Amino acid sequence: MMKNSFKFLEQPQFENPSVIVGWNEDAGKLSPKVIEYLNRKIKGRCFCEIEPADFYSLGAVAIENDVAQFPENKFYYSETANLVIFKGSEPHFEKYTFLNAIVDVAEHYCKAKELFTINGTIAPIAHTSARRMSAVFNQQGLQKKLQSYGLEDMTWEGRPAISSYLLWVAGKRGIPGVSLWPEIPFYLAASEDFQAVKLTLRFLDKKFELGLDFKELDEKISDQNLKITDLREENSDINRYIGMLESSLSLSEEEQMELIKGITEILEETG
Amino acid sequence: MGVKLYKEPELTNPTMFCGWPGIGNIGIIAIDTLRGALRAEQFGEIEPYEFFNPQKVVIEKGLLKDLDFPSNKFYYHRIKNQDLIFFIGQEQPSDGRTRYAEGQKAYQMANLVLDVAEKFGCQRVYTSGAAVTQIHHTARPRVWAVPNNHTLIGEIKEYDNTILMSGIEGRGGQGAITGLNGLLLGVAKKRGLDALCLMGEIPYYLQAAPWPYPKGSKSVLEVLAKTLDVKIDLSQLDNLATRVEKSIEEFLETLYSTEGLPSHIRDEIERLKLTTEAEPGPITEEEQKKIMEHIDELFKGEDWNDEKQL
Repeated sequence: MMKNSFKFLEQPQFENPSVIVGWNEDAGKLSPKVIEYLNRKIKGRCFCEIEPADFYSLGAVAIENDVAQFPENKFYYSETANLVIFKGSEPHFEKYTFLNAIVDVAEHYCKAKELFTINGTIAPIAHTSARRMSAVFNQQGLQKKLQSYGLEDMTWEGRPAISSYLLWVAGKRGIPGVSLWPEIPFYLAASEDFQAVKLTLRFLDKKFELGLDFKELDEKISDQNLKITDLREENSDINRYIGMLESSLSLSEEEQMELIKGITEILEETG
Repeated sequence: MGVKLYKEPELTNPTMFCGWPGIGNIGIIAIDTLRGALRAEQFGEIEPYEFFNPQKVVIEKGLLKDLDFPSNKFYYHRIKNQDLIFFIGQEQPSDGRTRYAEGQKAYQMANLVLDVAEKFGCQRVYTSGAAVTQIHHTARPRVWAVPNNHTLIGEIKEYDNTILMSGIEGRGGQGAITGLNGLLLGVAKKRGLDALCLMGEIPYYLQAAPWPYPKGSKSVLEVLAKTLDVKIDLSQLDNLATRVEKSIEEFLETLYSTEGLPSHIRDEIERLKLTTEAEPGPITEEEQKKIMEHIDELFKGEDWNDEKQL
């Protein structure tokens, strides 16, 4: 275990918890929103951080929405749920070492039994469509264990996301894991997709019997849906594009861009 | 992190040939063509995990089947009275800040490669890359040779179509070799091991092109084949060169028809046809820089970074 990479703030005791990993950057802000919601509801407390110096270019600090940012990689625990939550930023360098650092804490300190990663995947669907959640497992045992949860088996080849890389590192070290990939309508990718956040949290709620309350999230979903409905009434093109997606028809690149622009603007304007 | 050897062939004073991607992929194509032609057998690899990020994930029916990393493989072969080792790396290690090898990871990689060279008693190491210069793509590229000690200079002078840095007008024997090609020469020198880098010339206006430059590779390969006294079938390389040359001509036509392109740029590139040797003329460094600004703009479309990741 690379002790220099960590800073422990507390030393809680664990009983083979499950580890849930989310990232600060994601389509529809799915991953950060799920982790933040979950952390708030289970009163997560930070007990460990991964030090940033080896993994990020610290020559400059990014500014987003007027505020200086800094990469944060924190582990949280809850006194009420047997969960460890990690929320981090994808490293710029030394990804293998970074991912092994996460697995080090999960394996050696927490004695974790399994690992879940959360990411949104952009899909050509309407926000009114039922969302599917795909899954990728690093071993068959966990896949069988979760087969009653309505997850769809993914088949894909291409560039690996950080979650797939983590899943592989965990698998190599014998820790069962699954990456959850709920669908995000492409025109909500730059905004927030509360429906996908709820879908993911419902899965976690059922799996870990957390007794989560979704009232706050339901309000956000209905507020967002209302804004989009208002826009559809005002703008016939936007209405037509979403209607086409609802009928499983595809949009041209130009139509897609117009839809993304219209939705992003209205959601940003109205907060 | 380290070297994994599947077997330990008994080799006598082998020569090592190293190839990895770089400008025009001149080095890796030359070395890998030689390796392929001789049907060298793989006997080991350098574990890639701490050097490289994975390039591809394979997911089937919900199961993560594999993660592909760039490979770094060792091969061996015996010809006549000579034993050969090849090292073929699919990528140059870097710390993520530069395009080519630099920093601690590159140094580690160079040392691991040379650990294998020394373990099998190598007497000499060849690396290969590109020499960016002012030649026209229709010209036959020369090979620039840089040894890591003076005792090799006499031998290099006997090579066909090859030139030392001191033979290039205006350079005064000076220059720099970026990436692993240079680093390996240096680390070998530190270990007292003979090494030389053979660089095939490539026109400066193609240095950022997404295509290989097989003519440069062919020139390097001709030198290596003669040194080893082996016959290599170069027809595949010639075919590839013909196809690439067609792409270059199309690319230049696009460049010349670019709106706002200063009219002298076409003249300057075409003027290179008239020169037979790569010299610091016929255009100035400043003119070359201006031409490259236009060319870089054209190659910007060759970016696949927005590809989906899962």
